Formats: sequence, structure tokens, C-alpha cells
Amino acid sequence: MSKAVPQSVTQLIEAFSRLPGVGPKTASRLTYYLLRAPDEMTQTLAAALVDLKTKTRYCSVCFNITEDDPCPICADSGRDATQVVVVEEPLDVLAVERTGAYQGRYHVLHGAISPVEGIGPEDLKIRELVERVQKEGVLEVIVATNPGMEGDATAMYLQRQLAPTGVKTTRLARGLPTGGDLEYVDSITLLRALQGRHEI
Amino acid sequence: MRIEHLSLQNFRNYARLEISLPEGPILLHGANAQGKTSLLEAIYYLATSRSPYTTSDRQLINWNADQDLLPFAKIGAEVVTTSRALNRIEITLTEANGGLNGARLNKEIRVNGVSRRVMDLIGQINVVMFLPQDMALIEGAPAERRRYMNVTLCQTDAEYCQALATFDKVLTQRNALLRRIADSDGSPDELAFWDDQLTESGAVLVAGRQRLLRELEVKARQIHRDLSGNEEDLELCYQPGFMPTANNTGQLSFDVLGLDLNRQLDAGAIAGQFRERLGETVGEEIARGMTLIGPQRDELRLLFNGHDLGLYGSRGQTRTAVMALKLAELEWMRDVVGEWPILLLDEVIAELDAARRAYLLDRIDGANQVLLTTTEPEIFTAEFLQRATRWEVRQGQIVTVSPASS
Ligand SMILES: [Zn+2]
Repeated sequence: MSKAVPQSVTQLIEAFSRLPGVGPKTASRLTYYLLRAPDEMTQTLAAALVDLKTKTRYCSVCFNITEDDPCPICADSGRDATQVVVVEEPLDVLAVERTGAYQGRYHVLHGAISPVEGIGPEDLKIRELVERVQKEGVLEVIVATNPGMEGDATAMYLQRQLAPTGVKTTRLARGLPTGGDLEYVDSITLLRALQGRHEI
Repeated sequence: MRIEHLSLQNFRNYARLEISLPEGPILLHGANAQGKTSLLEAIYYLATSRSPYTTSDRQLINWNADQDLLPFAKIGAEVVTTSRALNRIEITLTEANGGLNGARLNKEIRVNGVSRRVMDLIGQINVVMFLPQDMALIEGAPAERRRYMNVTLCQTDAEYCQALATFDKVLTQRNALLRRIADSDGSPDELAFWDDQLTESGAVLVAGRQRLLRELEVKARQIHRDLSGNEEDLELCYQPGFMPTANNTGQLSFDVLGLDLNRQLDAGAIAGQFRERLGETVGEEIARGMTLIGPQRDELRLLFNGHDLGLYGSRGQTRTAVMALKLAELEWMRDVVGEWPILLLDEVIAELDAARRAYLLDRIDGANQVLLTTTEPEIFTAEFLQRATRWEVRQGQIVTVSPASS
């Protein structure tokens, strides 16, 4: 970048360019927009960015992203602790919550088994799930990994790990679009899949 | 089946092309590097989502096009079949910024305006292409012959196409897992899922290939006899990457010529054998960090009077066998689909002697649409030139020389 552009500007452009889906053009546009925006706006944004990393952590029970530990769902005594929906990502929790039909709890794996990407079972919160099932009187584990090869691999591995605990293990019914991500599925489709879950 | 209209935007040397295609033979001529072949390539690409000439889709984009926009290319066609209604097929390639991952090429497929997967595209247009490079079907590496079987089967068999996509993905994952296990980053009990998927999808591939080769052999043998003018036999010899018959003698010995094509195996039986062989090999697979048996190692040999053409065939014998195989493929596809595929002949006519040329043109006479490229239109008979539509291709533009006079 040319010397005519101050370092503080290039720095932000480069930072934006590293975000997924943002190219150099958009990065420049965002930077110059913020340059002209009121101070209050940039300060709020900066503070939000700092809080994002300093105030959040994993819930020690379900590994969802939370500010309070345990998270509001795990802390809610009105929710059924005997049912656990297992998802790949925190956004998938939101997707299931949107159906309004689920009153149990969650477990976030933070990914799916994919040897190509170097993700094995030990990189996911699987051991923690098995411990949770053994300790907390869970009666049913509903596996809601994405309907794709990696999601299927994860589901099968979970089923084999959970079998010795004797817990009932079910999987969301098919009907979800293959290759799709749970977070983009509309609520009705997801609701049907949840109702039609089957034992694995 | 035929293409009624073709639109190209920033594709190879076509900045913009909108053209209606008539029925019958279309003869594209002109000097080299003007865009004759690119037109055939565009149609093949719409049918298979792959170029016959390059593995890099990026090369299809005309980079000199509009500098203001991100580079892109668009290929579209309206296809009419005898059985189905008119279909609009469109593929858009766009260079996209992928943040940290750098530049990425997006491929968007639309069928009648609806976004589709590659798998749903294949089979919408059926094509058979003849290329000078087809000699590699006999002379080239085994991968060429596997690709040939895959492209042919995918166009007609959705289950095969699905199984192939699954198999390729599982194979990559399983190989990565074997390397992880070799490095003690993973454990052998993680293999179960991938083994299931590999054997199930792999068995569909083996069964499909066996069926295809059995049916092709009958046709290719007859055509080969016509072409060579004698009773000598062309054989297709399928050597699967593992022996899916239950004899359990282990290794394929040199005097075993391959799988008996007349005893069609079902996918269930093949999967069982595949799994058993996989179990015997898993130790070595972990040591070497890769999957050692399966249809990714399948081989197809063409035998002429019992001799392997790839090893002992003369140039002329090889050329005749390739022509027999391609014509057999064409007729096989016509029989399976129930109508003629679109034929694309790139510069192959010039390589044939007059008798073969006449035989080929006669054999494809029933096709709804045939696109041929040539630098020397004078090698065609007056009768053929009379009924062909003749287009001259000059720097990405098409100039009509003469419409078909029918
Ligand atoms: Zn929690």
C-alpha cells in the first residue's frame, strides 16, 4: 500500500481483509466509513470487540459460549436435565432454540470429526459428554450433528462411545438437506427432524 | 437431444456469444486458437461440469474481460430432449475473495433458474466427445480409464454419480485418518465409519463398471470387426482393485485376465468382499498411511486377440480400438437414455482415412446434433457439406458460411 495512506488506516484495512468473505475493496470501504463516522460509534465497536473475547468463555457444563458459568440454559432449573441435544457449533443451539419445542439441555462439541482437517474425536468435547452422561443422570442423548459425512462420522463415534453407559441415543431424522448446515435450516424442517429422531 | 441456444460470457476467447444451434451436423472451421474447440468445451462442461482439456476451471475464464468487475465466466444453454421439455442450464464461475484463504473460484450451477449441485447437473445433457487425446484411453495411465468409466456412468446413472462423490470424499478422509493413526494422532477404532462408507460406495462403483464394460464390450466388438474387416476380437478386460469374487485366493495372478464380465455381481456381495480384503490389509495401510485396495486402483485393459493393446498395440490398432470403444459408448448411451446424446468431434475426422471417415459419419447419422471442428473442411464429402451447417470461427466470433440446405 502507498505511503500516502497512514499506518493506522492500512492496519485496519488489513485486519478487515482477514475476515471471511471480506475482500480488500470492502475492507477499504469499511475503514474509510469508520474514519468519517462519529467517535462514539468507533468506541462502541472497539469495546464490543474487546468484550467479545474477555467476557465470554465456555460453559463448564455444555461448552456453549457464555458470559456466566454455567450458562443460562444449564442454570435454568425449569429445563429437563435428562435430555441433551448434541450439536457441532454454538449457532446450532440457537437454531434448535428457535423451534421453541425443546425443553432439554445441550452439549456443544465445537466441530465434527474430519481427519482431513486434522480434527479427531479428542479435539471435540466428546469425553466431556460421556462423563456428563455418567454423572448427571442423562436419560437421552439426541445427536444433532450436521447431515453430512463428517456429521455422520461424529454421530457414529458418539453412539459407540455412549453405548457402554446404557443411555438412549437418538439421531435427528433425515429430511434435513444433505450438505446443508443446521444453522441455515428453517425452523419447521428442523422441528420435524427433531420429532422424527430415531435411535442409533 | 440437442442444444437449441448457447450463451457464453468471458469463456475462453469468447467475450460474448449468443447463438442458436440448428439440428444435424454443425461444422466449425477456421484457423487454430480462434475458438472452435472452446465451443465444444463449453457444451461438454455444461454436461459434466468438467473441461476435457484442463483440470483448472480458472483457465476457462477470459481474464482480459471487464477489468472493473471480479473475473467471472458464464456458460448457459437451452436443451431440448425428445422426452422432456426444454431445460435451461447455466454455470457461473466467479473469482471470490476468501478472506484468509486467498482467492477462490465459486461455481454456481442453475437448472431452470434453481441452484443445483454438480450431481444434479450431470445427466441433464448427455454428450459423447471424440478427441485426438482419446488415444490416452489405451496408451495413458489407468487413471484415464477410470475417468472414462466415471464420466460415462455418471451421465446415465444417478446412483453411481452419488456413490462416486461419496467414495472420493471418504477415500480422502480415510487416507488422512490412516496417516493420523500412523503418527499416533488417531486410533484404529476410528476407522469403522469410514470403512462402512468406503465399502458401500466402492461396491456401487465396481458393480456399475462391471455392468458398463459388459454392455460396451458387446457393441465395441461388433464395431471393431466392421472397422478391421475381420473376425479378430476386441475384449474389454476389467481388473478391479480387489477381486470381488468369493474365491479368496488372494492376489490376482498374471494369467487371470480380470473379472468375468458375464457373471454380474451385486453391490451387496462386492461390499462384503471389499470389507474382508480391507480387514486383511489394514495393518499395511496404516504403515503406509493410505488406502491400498479399492476401485481407486481399478484397471481396464483393451485386448486384441488376447494381446494387451496398451503394451503391444501398433498406433493403427490402437486408433481403431479407440474408435470402436467411443462408438460403442455412443450407442450404449443412446440405448440407456433412450435418445441420441449430443456428439462433439474435435479434429478427429482429419486423422481417419476415407473409409473410416465414411464409416464414422454413417454410424452417427441418426444423431440429433453433431458438432465437428476442422481446419480443413475440404476433406468432407460434398454430400456431407451440403447437409451440414457451416460456421467459421474467427477470434471468438462466429461467421455463418452456409446454413444447412435441407
Ligand atoms: Zn451450559
